[in-house]
Amino acid sequence: MRIAIESVGVLAPGLPDWDGAAAVLAGRCAFAPAPLAPCAPHCLPSSERRRSSPTVRLAIAGVEQALSGTAIAPQDMAAVFSSTEAEGAITHQLCEVLAGSREVSPTQFQNSVHNAPSGYYSIAMNAKRGATSVCRGPWSFAAGLLAAAVQALADEVPVLFACYDSPLPPPLCDVMPIVEPSVIAMVIAPAPGPATLATWEIALAPADGDVPWPGWMPRAWHANASARGFPALATLCGSAAASALLPLSPELNVQVNRC
Amino acid sequence: MEPLAVRSFTITSAAGLGSVHTARSLREERSGLARNDLDWAPLDCWIGRVAAAESVSLPASLGAFECRNNRLALLALEQDGFLDAVASARERHGAARIAVFLGTSTSGILSTELAYQGRDPATGRLPDAFRYDTVHNLNATTEFVRRVLGITGPAMTISTACSSSAKVFCLAERFIRLGLVDAAVVGGVDSLCHTTLYGFNSLQLVSTDICRPFDAARRGLSIGEAAGFALLERGPGELQLVGYGETSDAHHMSAPHPEGDGARRAMLDALARARLSPADIDYVNLHGTATPANDRSEGRAVHDVFGTGTPCSSTKGITGHALGAAGITEAAIALLSLEQAFLPGNTNTTAVDPETRCAIALHGEARKLGRVMSNNFGFGGSNCALVFGKAA
Repeated sequence: MRIAIESVGVLAPGLPDWDGAAAVLAGRCAFAPAPLAPCAPHCLPSSERRRSSPTVRLAIAGVEQALSGTAIAPQDMAAVFSSTEAEGAITHQLCEVLAGSREVSPTQFQNSVHNAPSGYYSIAMNAKRGATSVCRGPWSFAAGLLAAAVQALADEVPVLFACYDSPLPPPLCDVMPIVEPSVIAMVIAPAPGPATLATWEIALAPADGDVPWPGWMPRAWHANASARGFPALATLCGSAAASALLPLSPELNVQVNRC
Repeated sequence: MEPLAVRSFTITSAAGLGSVHTARSLREERSGLARNDLDWAPLDCWIGRVAAAESVSLPASLGAFECRNNRLALLALEQDGFLDAVASARERHGAARIAVFLGTSTSGILSTELAYQGRDPATGRLPDAFRYDTVHNLNATTEFVRRVLGITGPAMTISTACSSSAKVFCLAERFIRLGLVDAAVVGGVDSLCHTTLYGFNSLQLVSTDICRPFDAARRGLSIGEAAGFALLERGPGELQLVGYGETSDAHHMSAPHPEGDGARRAMLDALARARLSPADIDYVNLHGTATPANDRSEGRAVHDVFGTGTPCSSTKGITGHALGAAGITEAAIALLSLEQAFLPGNTNTTAVDPETRCAIALHGEARKLGRVMSNNFGFGGSNCALVFGKAA
């Protein structure tokens, strides 16, 4: 399957945008961790920004970066969001309340769904095409990318893809140790256009042992499915490797080759 | 699109274990709903409980997956010869050429809720025995089902609230069309938990009365649990997926568009993909949750597309609202209606709300059906319409 990458957005501690990430991925700069400031995406109307959770604002801030790098209108795109856990902080708050008074906040409840970021995104952008929210646990980056690529090619539409992870509070982080935020967003097109960054050949490949993590990446990020996307982004940076393996299951990888 | 064969399907809900019992409940208009008797969630409402799932035990090798959601999944897999149908597809195509795509909204969250009740009062820690990744993460049931079925092809969960297990059909069709796999197991599993009972109640969407979709006196939904699966394969078949449509409302996180704009576009998209006109559809299985706003919005959208000539009904009065499993529950009911030439009624409803513009079939009847549509809509404004057909 061949897809075109139109634009990229990146948010992680020390990687505040795609240019910063590209410099690290290409080996031009050493990775320097720095806390990520709370996100306040411009596209969310103030009422929705108030109602939304920090996880939603994180995911949409990453999306906003990717959208700013392409002339394709979000109203013309389908969307695929993926996440290891989505709203772990809200799960924690709900479970605490449910173990006590059981007086659940309606806003918390509506924000608890895995597709909350795609819902808020569609409202913010007036994006009315289909939007999907995918989970495959630690393999959610490869699963989401695959779903997005398949939709772009099968329906011949541009697709916004965003994989994001948001920290979980204790005690949930003891059993699902996501402690740092990270987002990778990209706009995928079914065929290259005048502003395409690169084309990727994507294929399923049998897994042969664990896929190694990049040496520069803090170990704490290894719980984030979205962090699995950085080797794929590295193929977009001239001097780095032109292919990457993204684990999809113990038996299967998604292989990305820059054409 | 080219139709895809539905080789096998099965559904387990409060309306019955497997297709035979489900079809009987539909014909007899016998609701599977009952007054809430869960001692762990004493809310004044009606529920669709699958008590038989509570005594299921998982194979020892999959003990880490033990939770209500996975027990329900296993119970459903064991009905209607579904395991044999998948084994035979595995022989034909190979385990790596089959996908597993399941929908859920809350997975095994009940286990996490109970673990929070058992936190160490001094440290706040969760009980040592609690496993999260194989029980509650939204991947847990998909991975469990994939292992039970011995499938090694691509697998993933779609979680878009109440449209989740309708949208898996769309994902599977695309994967098969592009040749990534030759067949796909699709479906959905959602089970009763505190989060959805008290959560929907906080939004004042849970009725203390049994749910009465499209009734003038409807007061909200009755939550149910369900698990169901379908095996899709390239090529002709007696029963087929012939179209689907997916849209977003872009309107509100938890309230539908008042005119059902997104729902209407999903139905039109499904018809276009199937190369059908509204008059080609013999029956519409409505999402019909029985909340005042949802039913009004859907009734308008369905009327905009179909007028009053196409009989429609919501079967949630029989099954309850299975949330992330509503899509597969109603897809299975649509397939049963085609297979058994039976148009299901709109159980529990006595006086249709005059604001409902589409043609509600209050009672079921024997009728040969050629093509049926099934609608599902969810939080986040996520809409999906499926069209199934029977070979002439």
